[in-house]
Amino acid sequence: MTQGLTRLTVETIDGVLERVIEQGAEALDLRGIRFTDPYALLLLGLLVLEMTERRHAPRIEWPEAPAVRTWMNAMGFFTEIGTSKAVRFSSRSARSALQPITAITDEAGIGRVVDGFHRRLAERYPLTELSRRTLTAIMIELFQNIPHHSNATGNVADPHGIAAMQDYEDSLFLAIADKGVGLRGSLGLRPGYEGITDSRALNSILHDGISRFADAGRGGELQRIVGVVRSWDGVLALRTGSALLYFDERGGDIYDVPDFPGVQLAIRIPLRLFDAEMVDP
Amino acid sequence: MTTMYVEEFRIAQFGARLGTRLEGRHAREKLESLLQSLSDEGQVRICLNDLEVLSTSFADELIGKACRRMIDGEFGDRTMVLDTPSLELIDGIDVKLAQRRLAMLCLHDGRWRLVGFHTPALSETLQRVLDKKRTTARELAEELGLQMSACVNRVARLAELRLIRRRKIGMKGPQDIFEIHSIIDG
Repeated sequence: MTQGLTRLTVETIDGVLERVIEQGAEALDLRGIRFTDPYALLLLGLLVLEMTERRHAPRIEWPEAPAVRTWMNAMGFFTEIGTSKAVRFSSRSARSALQPITAITDEAGIGRVVDGFHRRLAERYPLTELSRRTLTAIMIELFQNIPHHSNATGNVADPHGIAAMQDYEDSLFLAIADKGVGLRGSLGLRPGYEGITDSRALNSILHDGISRFADAGRGGELQRIVGVVRSWDGVLALRTGSALLYFDERGGDIYDVPDFPGVQLAIRIPLRLFDAEMVDP
Repeated sequence: MTTMYVEEFRIAQFGARLGTRLEGRHAREKLESLLQSLSDEGQVRICLNDLEVLSTSFADELIGKACRRMIDGEFGDRTMVLDTPSLELIDGIDVKLAQRRLAMLCLHDGRWRLVGFHTPALSETLQRVLDKKRTTARELAEELGLQMSACVNRVARLAELRLIRRRKIGMKGPQDIFEIHSIIDG
């Protein structure tokens, strides 16, 4: 199934997960990949780590296109998954990666991580004050969900929270992922929500602003971020367990996807929003 | 009423970009210590100058939770107000106070506005108290064209939210008579 695949993206990565997780493929042929986005990259990395932990890691044939390999290396992908497939890290490739894969571990370190993302962005784009504030606030909220929720049950040895960011000709792409307990695992700790499905957890959090904490001030952050991305005509993918919320400027829905631990999120926003005329959310 | 004692609390002392609940918790410890140190009707003016980012999580942890405790009576008759150079900066505070059904007065550009949960009726009544500085429920009812009971309910809700002060000055029949004061001095 992956043979013939040329783009590894938020729209196609679930085909790879299906092949490995549901069909038990022992080999994955990614040689023909000509493009990959940060979300697919993070999810592929978590897939490799997860399958290695399950002692069922597939043999992967990596993309042959030099530009793709170089970018994957510049993003720190091969180091992340601990393979020896790394290619030389040239200065050109260092420039091409906007924000390499960064670990998100504890809440105390989030300010430093966000400052790093902020600095990378500011170096490349003349951000307006409003765009900088809005994006930074979004990153802080999303990043802190990892220490707050990815190991809410205390049963996950390493939820492996990671984030990365890349710019393109017309858009900016932010991806955040972990392989912790997922939205269902976190929300399921709240009385009345035990045993809920992934799609119901997604719905409760996004539409009703519910949090696992029964505190009136908690919850609603993801709901607000979804609203901001919609107002920007952006693309958002939020994947947890076997449910995926995906929408772009044409609309969207919740879809069934192969079951995978944790939460993975992608936000793609048009670069035109970084002009002085950025829309106030 | 004596002149109110107002102490400023600058959020920027904790950094220019504030977002995590952990940071908010740390800042709230300082804010609550300051509140406790004030005289009984003292006020903390929370100043948002020199801030770049104030996330909703930080806002809830610092302002939302401190406001909840204030309304629960943990700080006596002390009050808190906000002072911001930019309306964008109070977005997160507005959202989280509304989520908790709380409200605070906020100074922006020389004008006081209500942030968080409010209704047109509460805003109208509060504005009248701010304008008059000192009044009674009877005066307010007459000026707003309300039944006395409706006005008393509005005043009670505003007092509960620590947006005004009420002081009992007597009784008329079975009903308490209150003098109503603005919490904004000057």
